[in-house]
Amino acid sequence: MKLSKSLLSAVMIGIAVHGATSCKKEKTDPDKAKQEAEKKSKEKTSTPYPCPACGMG
Amino acid sequence: MEWVKTGILSSVACNLDVDMLTACLPLLEESKIDALEWSFDALYREKEIPDWFRDLLTAFGNEHRLIGHGIFFSLFSGRWLAGQEEWLQQLRQMCRDFRFDHITEHFGFMTGKDFHHGAPLGIPYTSTTLRIGRDRLKRIYDACACPVGLENLAFSTSVEEVKKHGVFLDQLLEPVNGFIILDLHNLYCQLHNFGIAFEDLIDLYPLHRVREIHISGGSWDESQADPGRTVRRDTHDNSVPQEVFRLLENAIGRCPHLRYVVLEQLGVGLQTAAARKTFYNDFLTMQSIVREKGEMLVPGPANTFLSGPVQLSGEKAEDETLYRQQLELSGILETAASYEEAIHRLHNSSLARSDWKVETWEPYMVEVAMKIAQKWKVNSVNS
Repeated sequence: MKLSKSLLSAVMIGIAVHGATSCKKEKTDPDKAKQEAEKKSKEKTSTPYPCPACGMG
Repeated sequence: MEWVKTGILSSVACNLDVDMLTACLPLLEESKIDALEWSFDALYREKEIPDWFRDLLTAFGNEHRLIGHGIFFSLFSGRWLAGQEEWLQQLRQMCRDFRFDHITEHFGFMTGKDFHHGAPLGIPYTSTTLRIGRDRLKRIYDACACPVGLENLAFSTSVEEVKKHGVFLDQLLEPVNGFIILDLHNLYCQLHNFGIAFEDLIDLYPLHRVREIHISGGSWDESQADPGRTVRRDTHDNSVPQEVFRLLENAIGRCPHLRYVVLEQLGVGLQTAAARKTFYNDFLTMQSIVREKGEMLVPGPANTFLSGPVQLSGEKAEDETLYRQQLELSGILETAASYEEAIHRLHNSSLARSDWKVETWEPYMVEVAMKIAQKWKVNSVNS
């Protein structure tokens, strides 16, 4: 399915800035968002969780 | 009756996971992804969905190309739990926020204190579990007001259970005119773990109810209970085996109402550029098979997989004996130090000489059940 360029750009920025689990709706300044993403990335490394999308087996 | 030729959509499972999204991004940019499957209940750690992800889901939803895949409802819990009520409320809200083409869940029940702290396990196929499953499916249908489906199991404890699974699914889904996700990696696990031929098993599933197919990868386990035996596990952390692509080639033509073929892989298996490239190639292989085999499908009678209004009972279906047995089973699997101990305790539990038929359970699968239960228990402690 074809997506608009603006949506693809938003997704790309969202992945880069918000990281794996950041879900704050309000806009944050990029530096703070990066720090948050780094913090969450470290948390993710230390506590891998196999659940979402059911890696059940 | 209207006759149609279903167009099959090549799809990916895509959640709010940076590795998964990074792997999907090149496919999105090249407009190769026809539809998205989203596990809407895997947001329990999130306060809100970010705008950009919401917009992505909305774009697919507006084109009737968004499907919801639940994980944590625990269809067969013997007791109706507060978490199930909350799950239905969340589903209602999600269906107001997004336009899902259908909603699916998993077969089995979740152990543990809540739905994020336990392992998904199977159930005996009885009139009691049939009654509970049908009641819960009606409640899901009532909440989402769109077609409802269930995924076939990857894990079983006996060959008898494997062979009865399809008929039981058919009976469960009949009152809501539901459909099944035929997960071909799950099928691959059953074929390998119980030494069954594809031709002997595939027709035991209600293929007229298949609206969605999943493909994914998994891993191998060396059995200690049966030295020399490997057990296939549905861990979703690897690329798609060639055998699963061959199953896809053989399955599509048997499923006249197939609408979605979904590539699934966990983010933990997509953390390197090489893994993401393999994911990309797996998608292209899948899409090529879908297009080739889809061309060969002939028009057939339409099935919307919608039901008329469902009658909900004032009382939720429950069974206290089943609930106590489920707790006992979970406790044994989570705490046994060895598969021998687990088997001994099962044979001396309330599940012995019952519909659970624990006496027929293969020791090598009890060993795997323990690993699954203890993996989830460990993760729940860490999470």
